[in-house]
Amino acid sequence: MYISRIKLFIFTVCFLFIAGIFGIQTAASATPDPTEQFRPFIAKVTATLADPDLKTLSKREKSRRVISVVRERFDFREMSKRVIGQYWRDLSPSEQDEFESLFTQLLQYVYVDRIDDYSGQEVEFTQQRIKGQRAEVQTLLVDKQKTIPVAYIMTLRGNEWMAYDVIVEGVSLVRNYMEQFREILRKDGYSGLTDQLRKKIVELEQENKVS
Amino acid sequence: MDYLDDESYEPSSVSDPLEPVNRFFFNVNDKVYVWVLEPVSTGYSKVLPSDIRQCVSNFFYNLGEPVRAVNCLLQGRVHDAGRTLGRFVINSICGVFGLADPAAHEFKMSPVYASLGETFSVWGVGDGFYLVVPLLGPSTLRDLTGTVGDGFAMTTHTPWNDDVLTTAAAHGVRSVNYTSLHLGEYEDAKSLSFDPYIAFRNGYFQIRAKQFDHTHQ
Repeated sequence: MYISRIKLFIFTVCFLFIAGIFGIQTAASATPDPTEQFRPFIAKVTATLADPDLKTLSKREKSRRVISVVRERFDFREMSKRVIGQYWRDLSPSEQDEFESLFTQLLQYVYVDRIDDYSGQEVEFTQQRIKGQRAEVQTLLVDKQKTIPVAYIMTLRGNEWMAYDVIVEGVSLVRNYMEQFREILRKDGYSGLTDQLRKKIVELEQENKVS
Repeated sequence: MDYLDDESYEPSSVSDPLEPVNRFFFNVNDKVYVWVLEPVSTGYSKVLPSDIRQCVSNFFYNLGEPVRAVNCLLQGRVHDAGRTLGRFVINSICGVFGLADPAAHEFKMSPVYASLGETFSVWGVGDGFYLVVPLLGPSTLRDLTGTVGDGFAMTTHTPWNDDVLTTAAAHGVRSVNYTSLHLGEYEDAKSLSFDPYIAFRNGYFQIRAKQFDHTHQ
């Protein structure tokens, strides 16, 4: 009687232990690997940038083509929300959509300016960190003259890791714009901010970078 | 500072009581950059190939290693102090007075950040307030004090302390050389920002936070 109890106890402990291992494993396999998801995406972006046809397009067309690829892994809604910060809740849904569209256009030009600089740099994946529903994938952009550390901050949407911030050489793009927008919102309100965004987009569109 | 925490996206409060004065000097520095430093650096970059310019950059960096090692010690980072001194010895001897960086490439001893401003911060000294220093650029009261202190400490072993003119020339070469390796970056950052003053102020604090963070080294 007593012996069988010990057996039962041991059996239970073993069972729980094994079940525990399996449980942990299923939990781990449920979280997809951010680097594995991001690697093909980066390859796709660099392939798009390296496409000789791209050079023949107008600046607006170029940026549209690149952004359509970038959309696959970038959550522009989340970026817009974070960059506006606490004011986001005060905006009407149509204003939120309007801001998202303007901010996405602005980022198009941030990217398109990089296109003109692009000359076959390699992207190396160095390491990643996962913290619950968030992840950071660190990469190095290896150029002839210098190596630029670029990190992507992501959030898990269902089974897909979506980036909402880019950190170039230690400077977070979202936080940098957040600080600037906060000043504009404080002084000129939301309409002042959208005016400035529109002006900047036109400015960047017409700017022909001499490099 | 962890980007994966939402706290890191909370608005930061920067003490900037001298904003009007700082903005004035920000514009002065901008003009100096656009009209003097950039054209000179562009010409210089056309004369010297980039690997030579990288050697010049290494040389200046290497001269700062002893001061970095002392700062590491003052901050209680004994291991980093050793690594910095090791780099200094290896690069001065095998790297021809620090022109090359065999310590990083052959010995896998990557550079370590340390400054007197950081030492003060470790000792609990606050920033004071944000400053834009003529010709030097963004800083804070504490960091500027640190920069000046580091500068004086450098003079104990730099080869150009005979007179002010030589020292100024050495700093001039250093600035031009640095700029030549980073041409276009300043204009890029400026053209993508709505208020360059705020953008660079925020950038200064973000970059510094990363420099002071030694957890991922």
